[in-house]
Amino acid sequence: MAIMTAPAPPRTTAAPSTSSKSRRKIRDNLTGHAFLIGAVICFALFMWYPMIRGVVMSFQRTRRGETTWVGWDNYVRIVADPSFWTAWQNTFYFTVLALVLGYVIPFLVAILLNEFRHAKGYLRILVYLPVMLPPASALFLFKFYAYDPSEAGLFNAILAGLGLPTSEWMQSPTMTIPAMVIASTWMNMGSAVLIYLASLQNIPGELYEAAELDGAGLVKRIWHVTIPQTKLILALLAMLQIVATMQLFIEPLILANGAGTQDSATSVAYLIYQHGFFQNDLNGAAALGVIMLVVLAAFSAVYVRLSTKEN
Amino acid sequence: MSVPQYRKVAALALVAGLGLSLTACSTKSDDGGQEAGGKVTITVDCQPVGAQKELLANWNEDVAAFQQENPDIIIKSVSVGEQCNNPPDFTARLAGGTMTDVFYGYMTDLGQVLDSGQAMDITEFATKDNVPTWDSVDPALKEVFTDGGKLYAVPVKNYSMGLVYNKVLFAKAGLDAANPPKTWTEVRDAAKKISALGDGVAGYSEYSAGNTGGWHFTSLLYSQGGTILSEDGKKAAFNTAEGKQVLQNLKDMRYGDNSMGSRQLLQWGDLLTNAGAGKVGMFVGAPDATQAIVSQFQGKFEDWAMAPLPGQTGAAKGTLGGGEGYFFKKGLTPEQVKAGLKWIAYQKLTPGKGQFDYERAKPQNYPVGLPQPLLFANGTEAQKQEFDLRKANANVDTANFALFEATPVAIKGEPRNAQAIYAVLDSAMSGVLTDKNANIDTLLKTAEEKVNQLLAAGS
Amino acid sequence: MSSRTLVSQAQLQRGRGKVVYWTLLSVVVLGFTLVFLGPLYWMVTGALKSGQEIAQTPPTLWPQDPQTQNYVDAWTNLALGKLLFNTFYYAAGAVVFQLVFDTAAAYSLSKLRPVLGNVILGLMLATLMIPAMVLIVPQYVTVIDLPILHINLLDSPFSIWLPLVANAFNIFLLKRFFDSIPEDLMAAAMVDGASPLRTLWSIILPMSRPILGVVAIFSVTAVWKDFLWPKLVMPSPETRTVSVGIYAFAGGTPQNVVIAASVIAAIPTVIIFLIFQRNIMSGLTSGSLKG
Repeated sequence: MAIMTAPAPPRTTAAPSTSSKSRRKIRDNLTGHAFLIGAVICFALFMWYPMIRGVVMSFQRTRRGETTWVGWDNYVRIVADPSFWTAWQNTFYFTVLALVLGYVIPFLVAILLNEFRHAKGYLRILVYLPVMLPPASALFLFKFYAYDPSEAGLFNAILAGLGLPTSEWMQSPTMTIPAMVIASTWMNMGSAVLIYLASLQNIPGELYEAAELDGAGLVKRIWHVTIPQTKLILALLAMLQIVATMQLFIEPLILANGAGTQDSATSVAYLIYQHGFFQNDLNGAAALGVIMLVVLAAFSAVYVRLSTKEN
Repeated sequence: MSVPQYRKVAALALVAGLGLSLTACSTKSDDGGQEAGGKVTITVDCQPVGAQKELLANWNEDVAAFQQENPDIIIKSVSVGEQCNNPPDFTARLAGGTMTDVFYGYMTDLGQVLDSGQAMDITEFATKDNVPTWDSVDPALKEVFTDGGKLYAVPVKNYSMGLVYNKVLFAKAGLDAANPPKTWTEVRDAAKKISALGDGVAGYSEYSAGNTGGWHFTSLLYSQGGTILSEDGKKAAFNTAEGKQVLQNLKDMRYGDNSMGSRQLLQWGDLLTNAGAGKVGMFVGAPDATQAIVSQFQGKFEDWAMAPLPGQTGAAKGTLGGGEGYFFKKGLTPEQVKAGLKWIAYQKLTPGKGQFDYERAKPQNYPVGLPQPLLFANGTEAQKQEFDLRKANANVDTANFALFEATPVAIKGEPRNAQAIYAVLDSAMSGVLTDKNANIDTLLKTAEEKVNQLLAAGS
Repeated sequence: MSSRTLVSQAQLQRGRGKVVYWTLLSVVVLGFTLVFLGPLYWMVTGALKSGQEIAQTPPTLWPQDPQTQNYVDAWTNLALGKLLFNTFYYAAGAVVFQLVFDTAAAYSLSKLRPVLGNVILGLMLATLMIPAMVLIVPQYVTVIDLPILHINLLDSPFSIWLPLVANAFNIFLLKRFFDSIPEDLMAAAMVDGASPLRTLWSIILPMSRPILGVVAIFSVTAVWKDFLWPKLVMPSPETRTVSVGIYAFAGGTPQNVVIAASVIAAIPTVIIFLIFQRNIMSGLTSGSLKG
């Protein structure tokens, strides 16, 4: 809160002497930190401190109102949870599939939309419409209408109409994750498309011109101009997308009522929720959070290593 | 920048800062509940929600009447949702310490409440002075809320499960509603006939998600005479002939006869919504399931009747029972505890008042005559009074529940670590209900291994 | 005239190119309409069908006997007005808090560069890779009892606003944008005797409108899309967000009413989007999201 209410930084005066120079330096630093303090407090309270607290909690257990140090017990218990490995499997499967669908498709759609000279606004609005729905609503739409296992369901009606085999969707262990990916991509891709579109529009036209003069075909132009020119955004969104999909939670919660059929929808995040809020085991949930953190840290280390090598 | 603009920014920051300190004040509530005029204030949860219009009006009326009788007590009611104890929300409240002074919980919640360090020992206060009918309350129910000789909650409801069935669908399917199925084989036959009515009607419906599948598996297993855990509570004990029979029955109905509908992965509200819409012939539930169907899911209670839980070849060998009570938050003053007890005594444990005010409930869209909550021990004065009032004011055909009431089935409680075990058993239930080729032996064996693993890890 | 893109204008106007272009355009327009508008049509009309009709095989395209009552029930039973108000209130607050604190921080890190600024930036960016789920439990116990202050923020909008300020992505975006503003401008202002706050207000911010727009869009989306966090920190029915509220009621409400509620809940945001569509797009385009 202190930023703005802190005394306004005094105006600089001309021709400082050496001692007033160092004083000025201190003052400048203070001013700089005054601007930072609001964000720093929030980071400290809601990011840095919880990280430490999470690690500490994962080695403690609260029983009968008393918190004791239990070493690795929580980790042992959480890894022994019958759904632990399934949850990781499901989460990775979802992440990969969501990356294939939810990362590549929006980019291609953005490239396509960027080429159109007509109906641009209309198409853009269409793609972004699902983002406007509250996520729970979008998922109920899929749950009740699209994924209804009988032939009264929208998808099955279409499949049956085309003479294709129907599916039980969320009630089929093999379709659970793909069905969640479809719903999730549909409801989230709008933002990614808009961001890609924005960055595509910043590519200087001359680059394409030059590439074309060099005889580069369509694919080559995408490969040598479009992708390098949007590289940073592509890398950033890939990162964000992976981090987001690893947290898969609301899709299983709503579409599959939690675990789905035979645990086929259980995600790591759902397991955290189960332990923390169903099984009276906040400490176990914290331990699972720490495990997730380690996995993601390892992943990002690899990612950084790879991307720096490339540069 | 111009001066006015600077002021705007400063003002904005100030407002933001102020807002923070304001909420800081407003969220503090440890004022001990003692006010200057010697009045005692207590907060109580599980007030009915707005959609339950009559229940809410009754509650508010009770509060007003109680406060008139006890001018030095102020009751502040809090509504926490349609399901007063939705496990994740309940856990969150306990962890956050945001529950009310007197708070609602299930019988199985005692361990969790103790772990949270929020439970108050009320042994010395739970006497005839504060709760006039205390000596009539079934000692078995008090026992459930007792740990190490100390009492932590007052029981206010008690139920056991049976077979709930839709009389209208029975009649349509040519079944005798006065003679409901007594065995699982008969349930299967009836379900086949009811689902033959078509129109998306499921003859029998069952849960398989959100931990409710495991909860019902437990009940079905008890009916077969099985048990979830071994006697010492250290091993899973459901991978037996009884356990297999439970899943086999379901599989036969689901895929053999196709009499359970195609929509599975149901949890609590899903099944009751379908039931309210007249799409469910039979399901396993407590008497108050019909109440929920009526008050929340737009069903009619004259359509519903209840039979004892079926067994495999004869009567059920056991059924799942449970109940609810009010806990007291740690740190209350003796005056507050006494006030809370008096309120519970008034609203929950006095024949003719509060939940037993059958005269008031009779004309309302609220069933009177259900064989619950069964709080008072057999042969006590309170039990007799309650029973007579109930009979005199019944607005549901008590015949609908006569069978259930006349055929007592041995009641068993939930296993230790219920929620963790239920999560595992959900998987077996969903397996048998969504996979035509599910192998029951494998499903049970997997579940058994998982539960053993859970227990070994000391969760 | 927009600048040249992947395929040149000329190529699209020539014989084969023209045919391909128009075919592709019609296919895409048709396909997108089906994929993105279709489900919404299904939603709006589905909410008008009776429970019986919903279960029909094959499904009907148009409700035979429209039940407008479903929409009325949705509005009253779920107290949608309250839920929507809450959500917009949280979103508006989130925008204000993020803009004020994150802009100030990014400005400081980019232009004022106090000692240890880089360390702080590093610590902030380190959180970029940490998904909310990892910290959900410790964050939750923190919000229940803030360290040192011992304040309980449950049911208070600050439990949504303040954690959102700790958003490394926004600070990163803002800082990158501020970095691209020439140092000379700053120096000139300093020589004129302007304080850092004044420089921020009258020189940096006016130039940064697009990126501020982007941050605002992101913070609104974050509040709109979040589920588990508001579910945990806003436990009472009066403070719920739309998404959490609809979920909470879905267990005890007929399907059609849930869907009707979803339709109603989407209307205000769709209208807002349609109105500000151009601004949002131009904000994103010029908002330094270049590669």
